[in-house]
Amino acid sequence: MASAPIAPYSSSPLGNSSSQHTSRESLKMEPLAGFVSLPGEERIIDKDIIYMCPFNGALKGKVFITNYRLYFKSTDTETPVTLNVPLGVISRIEKMGGATSRGENSYGLDITCKDMRNLRFALKQEGHSRRDIFDILFKYAFPLSHGMQLFAFLSQEKYEENGWNVYEPMEEFRRQGLPNNEWRVTFINKSYELCDTYPTILVVPYKAPDEDLRRVGTFRSRCRIPVLSWFHKQNHAVITRCSQPLVGMSGKRNKDDERYLDLIREANGTTKLTIYDARPNVNAVANKATGGGYEGEDAYQNAELVFLDIHNIHVMRESLKKLKDIVYPNVEESHWLSSLESTHWLEHIKLVLSGAIQVADKVSSGYSVMVHCSDGWDRTAQLTSLSMLMLDSYYRTLRGFQVLLEKEWISFGHKFASRIGHGDKNHADQDRSPIFLQFIDCVWQMTKQFPTAFEFNERLLVVILDHLYSCRFGTFLYNCESARDSNDVRTKTVSLWSLINSDTSSYTNPFYTPESSRVLYPVASMRHLELWVNYYIRWNPRIQHQQQSPVEQRYKELLALRDQYLKKLEELQLTDSAPSSTHLTNSSTPNAATPNQHITHLQTPF
Amino acid sequence: MLTGSKTTFKVRQLVPDMKERMLSHSSFHTRGRDVLGLCCLPGECVLQRAVLVRKKLSVKEGSGWLSGTLFCTHFRVAFVPQDSQRPDDNADPVLLGDHDVALASIDKVVAVGPSRTKLVTPNGSLKFTPEELVLYCRDLRVFCFLFDRLTPDAQAMEITYTIAKTYQPLKPGTLLSFQNSALGSIEMKQFLSNRRRDPNMNWFECSADWEQELERAGATGWRVSSVNDRFEMSTSLPRFTVVPHRVLDTELKKTFAHFNDGRIPRWCWRHPRGSDLLRMASFQNNIYHEKDDIRNLELVLFGGQQMCVIVDLGEEMPSPADIQVAHTRLRTLCLGDISSSVSVPDDKWLSTLESTRWLDYIRCFLRKAAEVACLLRGGHMTVVLQESEDRDMNCVVSSLVQVMCDPHCRTVAGFQSLVQKEWITAGHKFLSRINYHRDCDKEEAPVFLLFLDCVWQLWSQYPTRFQLTEEYLLALHDSVQLPLFSSFLANSQRERCRRSQHLPQSYTPVNGLRELPMGEPEEPVDPPFPPVWDWALQYSSSRRARFTQPVSQAACIPPVLNGNLNTNLERSWHSDGLPGSVFLLSRSSFSNPSNLLPWRSGNSGSYWKSHRRAPSSEGLSGLERLIRACSLSDPSENTTTLHDPFEPLLPLLIGPCVRVWRGCYLRGALHPQAFSHPMSSCSQHPLDQLAFEVQELGEKLAQASVRHPEHQTRQQEPRRLESNLNQNANNGTFLFSSRSSQHQPPASRGSTRPTNLTRAPWTASEPPRSAQRISGKHTFLFGHQQESQSVQRYIPSPSAKYPKHAGNTH
Repeated sequence: MASAPIAPYSSSPLGNSSSQHTSRESLKMEPLAGFVSLPGEERIIDKDIIYMCPFNGALKGKVFITNYRLYFKSTDTETPVTLNVPLGVISRIEKMGGATSRGENSYGLDITCKDMRNLRFALKQEGHSRRDIFDILFKYAFPLSHGMQLFAFLSQEKYEENGWNVYEPMEEFRRQGLPNNEWRVTFINKSYELCDTYPTILVVPYKAPDEDLRRVGTFRSRCRIPVLSWFHKQNHAVITRCSQPLVGMSGKRNKDDERYLDLIREANGTTKLTIYDARPNVNAVANKATGGGYEGEDAYQNAELVFLDIHNIHVMRESLKKLKDIVYPNVEESHWLSSLESTHWLEHIKLVLSGAIQVADKVSSGYSVMVHCSDGWDRTAQLTSLSMLMLDSYYRTLRGFQVLLEKEWISFGHKFASRIGHGDKNHADQDRSPIFLQFIDCVWQMTKQFPTAFEFNERLLVVILDHLYSCRFGTFLYNCESARDSNDVRTKTVSLWSLINSDTSSYTNPFYTPESSRVLYPVASMRHLELWVNYYIRWNPRIQHQQQSPVEQRYKELLALRDQYLKKLEELQLTDSAPSSTHLTNSSTPNAATPNQHITHLQTPF
Repeated sequence: MLTGSKTTFKVRQLVPDMKERMLSHSSFHTRGRDVLGLCCLPGECVLQRAVLVRKKLSVKEGSGWLSGTLFCTHFRVAFVPQDSQRPDDNADPVLLGDHDVALASIDKVVAVGPSRTKLVTPNGSLKFTPEELVLYCRDLRVFCFLFDRLTPDAQAMEITYTIAKTYQPLKPGTLLSFQNSALGSIEMKQFLSNRRRDPNMNWFECSADWEQELERAGATGWRVSSVNDRFEMSTSLPRFTVVPHRVLDTELKKTFAHFNDGRIPRWCWRHPRGSDLLRMASFQNNIYHEKDDIRNLELVLFGGQQMCVIVDLGEEMPSPADIQVAHTRLRTLCLGDISSSVSVPDDKWLSTLESTRWLDYIRCFLRKAAEVACLLRGGHMTVVLQESEDRDMNCVVSSLVQVMCDPHCRTVAGFQSLVQKEWITAGHKFLSRINYHRDCDKEEAPVFLLFLDCVWQLWSQYPTRFQLTEEYLLALHDSVQLPLFSSFLANSQRERCRRSQHLPQSYTPVNGLRELPMGEPEEPVDPPFPPVWDWALQYSSSRRARFTQPVSQAACIPPVLNGNLNTNLERSWHSDGLPGSVFLLSRSSFSNPSNLLPWRSGNSGSYWKSHRRAPSSEGLSGLERLIRACSLSDPSENTTTLHDPFEPLLPLLIGPCVRVWRGCYLRGALHPQAFSHPMSSCSQHPLDQLAFEVQELGEKLAQASVRHPEHQTRQQEPRRLESNLNQNANNGTFLFSSRSSQHQPPASRGSTRPTNLTRAPWTASEPPRSAQRISGKHTFLFGHQQESQSVQRYIPSPSAKYPKHAGNTH
């Protein structure tokens, strides 16, 4: 897979299309003025500061803060170090040291980031020099806590493609072959009356009338009733998703729910419906105390229940925290493997993947499945989307992957706002958890094991994660569709897919060979899972972003060459146009088009 | 039992029993007997066979199962796929087909029955009919054969027994019979004696070979000495050694006594910046009577250089015994405990892997080699590797240093020359270390395999800087377990020479050994062993094609002459080294203990009478800076490595970067399901498409600028487009273009299309180098490896070298 050509010093994950080929060398050439600001970005403050780089020691330089980013550039001209941090990435800002603390560079700011790094700045001790910068950072990094807007609403970016058009639910269901005489589309939730965290368009068993859906809703946590996620065209098995049943301590039953599950099973005429409860058995039992629970054997005679042992958001958060401790800033040598093992991060990845494999396997052998965890928006989203990725090659294309995220994660109400904490100062919020990151990691593991099966490359995954935090695009903002609607996200912000789809060639895997029919079963074993070094350890300048295979490298070179040629051509024709335009027309062949035509021609083909 | 006739090399079959006949009539009617056609080696006998067997394919082969027939001969277990092509009777014999395994490689035979699993020993018996036969190999491959329900039970039983009885828990006797079954027939002997050696690599067997190496490295001040021509000075050294010009043979002879086993300091390689790499054994006989004696020793150590750094490998590096223990643990971990089919629980895999210490050892060698590589970069010194015997760690480190520093050693030919130079002729005790005869368990240690793993680590961190591939490293790794190659069947060059000549040790023909006829007629015992480098003997051409990268070194830019970096570095330390200083590098730090050179210590030596002065200690800090400058922590160095081909490939040693060689050790474990896509013919490969666009653009650019006649960049990619992208990897592992696809040299292409491309105005405004770089890229848009070009690229002509003293103002 491609690795993003991220220059080690500029910690800029967010190259826009013009600067994405920036090599380390060209970075040095960059004028001291710094970055290219985004339309709508405004400079707030500049300040002389010392960046306490964990790799290079203290670096004097200047920091620029805009309403979108923190940008640092060292004044050392020999090896200039730059930092380019979108404010959205910041989870916590703390003052370190006081005006009287001793020791060099002991007075300053300590910034914790969501993307696996910490930043430390030191300032002059005299004159409360950090007060203004701290206040400004605090305000702009956490705009929602200060009654301000996220940058996505201030951005004036324009793109050729409109990413909001990527996902049309009806179109996607039609692609799957729905509705048909087993499954129907219902608009019961068109104004979020049935369930405020579900999308407006739902697909349910043909035989289940809308009134039944409402009654089922009363028995499912937050009314997240079982609805269809994916339909197997050949064997008509389906993946459905929902939240836990409200069984409670008393072991309540609900006839409507039981009949509804039977309808799901009957739709393709199999004898058993498999219910995957993503949680460990004990957690599911414990949930009874708070009114939840799981489908009991007695009540659901035609269903089998399987627990997938995936732990909850708190466990994942702690695991990632441990991982961060061992990858930033220093990475061990000889005890690395046991340290990695003790974070359990890969073990959790393994459990998620193997859960998804079970789901995919069941569906491809003809049985419908239902997946839920507690609320059906974290582990459930992981499992359904991963198993769909295994089953359906469409989701392995650049476009299809966007659809998958829009559908299973964004529209079905994965609580991005709560899990990431966009613009919110409460860094210790117990709702935060790297569930989506974990999912992207699983996808990365799959791309590693099936290098030719995915149309997109590693860079796409990294860029998605960067903008998960950056708040530059509206894509990952808010917890659910209803909130997005009421905040006019689609009209007031730009979609991340606009950025991606305006420059698809940077995200294309040159090894990709389309094939439709195969189900991909990755090996979920510690022996074959790897830590995603290019993401988790990318701030470490010692990690050279892993060298690409020769072919991939060639692909990159060709891309660069193409851009270069285009530029030269343009220059040539500009300079030529005045003195010798006739000459040019004489010499060009009929198909030699103007540079403008070239550009459009060349950007379409992938 | 079946006997292959010596003339036809075909299996004569027994009259098939009824069941079989039915089978062959029903399912194989059309193909008849060819289905079972095994291309035997001359003299090879088929002991047993089983029909309707399925072989489990590995990831690289595309996974899944392959049906065919399983054979067991005296030499190998062979598997012939059902629809394999009829072997060509006239083709040269290949020892192992793509699906075969030599008996000598097999470590354990396991039969899997309906309800149980049994390790089958040569004397053991089976109480059930195996459904599955699993062969665990010493090279960590695992072969898995599944018997069909239609496979006659007797065949399944018999072949399992036969393999278990014939496979080698190697003992002296069985080894010979194994070798004879492979190579012992008259035809085979004849065939082998007519093999030609690979002329592209350096064999380091005659003095001309060494001369050639000296020239290649641009080393002046050194000469080839034949003082050990008859192995009189040292039995384990090669016949030729490279020593400083100024030391005469008569003087040299006196130095041998001062080193363990007579292994005096010998030249290995010269860094382009002018430092020399040497290796030697530990000092012994520390009595120095004569002034001349000391003068000679000093000369031998310093060459023409002013400073000498001795790198002690004895203490810090793991011992061969440590390596053996680690490797055994790693094997057990990767293969699981076969007999009880218990393996390490998945959640303990990482820490168990760590506790084998294998990766620690790998890291240790890589670090040491990286330090030496950095040191060499400083120029003006000899770096002498010292190990008590000079036959294990020195081999690893000296060859790793060269792989890191010398792009030539990253080609197949260059790498083979390197192994020939630093291992085979240098006297690594392959025979004892591999322990083919199972008679020196104490000595057994896979030092060479550890080296291959280290090379793999470098390869996986810098795949584009290598011409050779993982496939090649695997092939070499596996060949080590095959006791058939002269390269590995001796402990020293002397043994090798004696065996191939059957002549008394003191006799050496004047013309060197090559001219001698192979094998004396009265000695039928040992068959003539081919060198391991005769790959055509071992592997089919399709596998050999994967030994090299299809697209190589695209990013490699010609060396920067006297780049800023040189001067920087040299200034940083060079001022403080006084001539004649000697330092010890140990545990990443420098010192100059007084007894480092035994003859300098104390007052007995006459050395100080002429050279008396205070030992320099200021040199230390300079050297340490040198190591630190490039040791792995300074990121600014990394940027340069991409541009300068002689910058050492410094491995990253932090935890996640030193990894287990999955492609080798986990071949037998559960595999990811591979994805063998058929290349869809309708849609173009994106790479293809992009190349096409770039080409079109380039042409337009050329046309637009046609009036400038001096334009030189040329478009060369168009004709490669079609031929090349079918190479698209099925597994995504690699794209291997057919080597044979013709690529015309740019010159001739130029004449066919003389019309276009004059220098564009923009290139004129840029420095010429960048223009050159761009045109260089063009030629590699779809680079086939061009032999001629690659040679030029890898072997720097002397003129392309750094001016050695450039920028040095002292």
